[in-house]
Amino acid sequence: MAQPGFDGIELVVHAMAQTSVDNETYFSDLDAVVGDGDFGYSLARGFEIVIATWDDIDRTDAATFLRKVAAIITSRVGGTSGPLWGTAFMRAGAVVAGSERIGADQAVAMLRAAIGGVKERGQSDVGDKTLLDALVPAVDELERAVDDGSDAAAAVGNAAATSCAAAEGTSSMLAKRGRAAYTGERSIGSPDAGAIGVAVMFETVARLWPQSQR
Amino acid sequence: MLQGIALANPDTLKYVPEYNLIMRADAPNEQKVSIMQGSGSGHEPAHVMIVGKGMLDAACPGDVFSAPPMDYVLETTKLVNSPKGVLHIINNYTGDRMAFDMGREMAEAEGIVIATVIVDDDVAVKDSTWTVGRRGVAGNFFVIKSVGAASEQGTELADLVALGERVNSVTRSMGMALTSCTPPAKGSPLFELGDNEMEMGVGIHGEPGRKREALASANEIVDELVEAVASDLPFKKGDDVALMVNGLGGTPISELYLVYGRAHAQLAARGITVRRNYVGEYCTSLDMAGCSITLVRLDDELTALLDAPAQIPNRIF
Repeated sequence: MAQPGFDGIELVVHAMAQTSVDNETYFSDLDAVVGDGDFGYSLARGFEIVIATWDDIDRTDAATFLRKVAAIITSRVGGTSGPLWGTAFMRAGAVVAGSERIGADQAVAMLRAAIGGVKERGQSDVGDKTLLDALVPAVDELERAVDDGSDAAAAVGNAAATSCAAAEGTSSMLAKRGRAAYTGERSIGSPDAGAIGVAVMFETVARLWPQSQR
Repeated sequence: MLQGIALANPDTLKYVPEYNLIMRADAPNEQKVSIMQGSGSGHEPAHVMIVGKGMLDAACPGDVFSAPPMDYVLETTKLVNSPKGVLHIINNYTGDRMAFDMGREMAEAEGIVIATVIVDDDVAVKDSTWTVGRRGVAGNFFVIKSVGAASEQGTELADLVALGERVNSVTRSMGMALTSCTPPAKGSPLFELGDNEMEMGVGIHGEPGRKREALASANEIVDELVEAVASDLPFKKGDDVALMVNGLGGTPISELYLVYGRAHAQLAARGITVRRNYVGEYCTSLDMAGCSITLVRLDDELTALLDAPAQIPNRIF
């Protein structure tokens, strides 16, 4: 049976999946401005399977659960999203293999591992106008809040607000990765779809978090 | 779509729905390297309709304009694995490279011998540190045709890679759009293009290209494309070339031949001789009106490989 704190992981993963499915059109439209418009569609095809098979995903422990979610993502999500989001889930799962409980420290560690996976797989970093530009500031804020002793709800709320501001901020950036990068200067003026996706997911988690048992 | 292709070619092709795969019914063939591709859908006939003897052994496309999930790449590689190895031909896009990198890694872990050729024939986008490099577009056809023909002759994997890279290195393309295109899932045009505008250097996934310009005459458009492509290698006086005028999906063939005529004349004026020509739809972008021009510098070996017979569902040469 999964370890204490596992329900937090379930909340986050389900929130990510539901957000992706609910925002399929919105995310694709964002991606169509200077890209090829597949972001929302690609992500939704994988996450809808996560939702459809939710009860059957192996919950032996958090690591196994996240690895199985990663496998669903890579089996169905194409484009760059499959490899990037799949690697993120894989790395997050690996970091909590053998963990006795899933608390704030593990949450930060999982997110850091996910960031590392995305950077490596995508050969990217903060400043390239990608999902990292929303995710990294959010995790920095989450870690800061956790270290300060904030309660979980407040920490998540702050991280969500940070990610939203950061995602909107990508509008002024020049794209250096993905299809938008081919458009050069024309990529300035619209936000990165991946960054907005991360921010909306954070918002969903923040909205749901205080309602949980934690 | 794939079901239709398989139904239309029951003796030669096989459809594997789990991996969105069209493969030769007789693959793997132990006497040859298996050759596979797997870009996004939406470029037909590339690549599911050029699976067959003398060209691809398998194509496992992703959703429209999306690289396939890496599982499709892995499982397809396993299905067509031959004792002589598997060759992955990929267009140079981040998603395609990631999917094939990851799929290859996992397949090699199972002992399969794989090599990769990357196609990056598009001259439109500047090769800079900000992108993964130039895009692979219609020139992909020539890499597949040459390598496909050579593989039927039993050529070894390493030599096929060298050949594919050589063909890629003497192939240059650029396209332009008169309209956008409408992905089925979206149901509306991917980008806005005014009646009086055209997009020079357009990508094949609806991504904008080099420059938005005011609509010009066909001659002016062709001149610009030929100049961009010819000057890039550069193709020189005395060169023999293959010339492809590729329709992007929404342009009538009559117009493609109009383009061909002007391109041919422009090349002749430069002292460049067109030895082989390919006019039609080879690598489309759904229903986009527009075309691309591809030049390949020929020699006797390449010409023979292009002339070698092939048997694919979509006869385009």
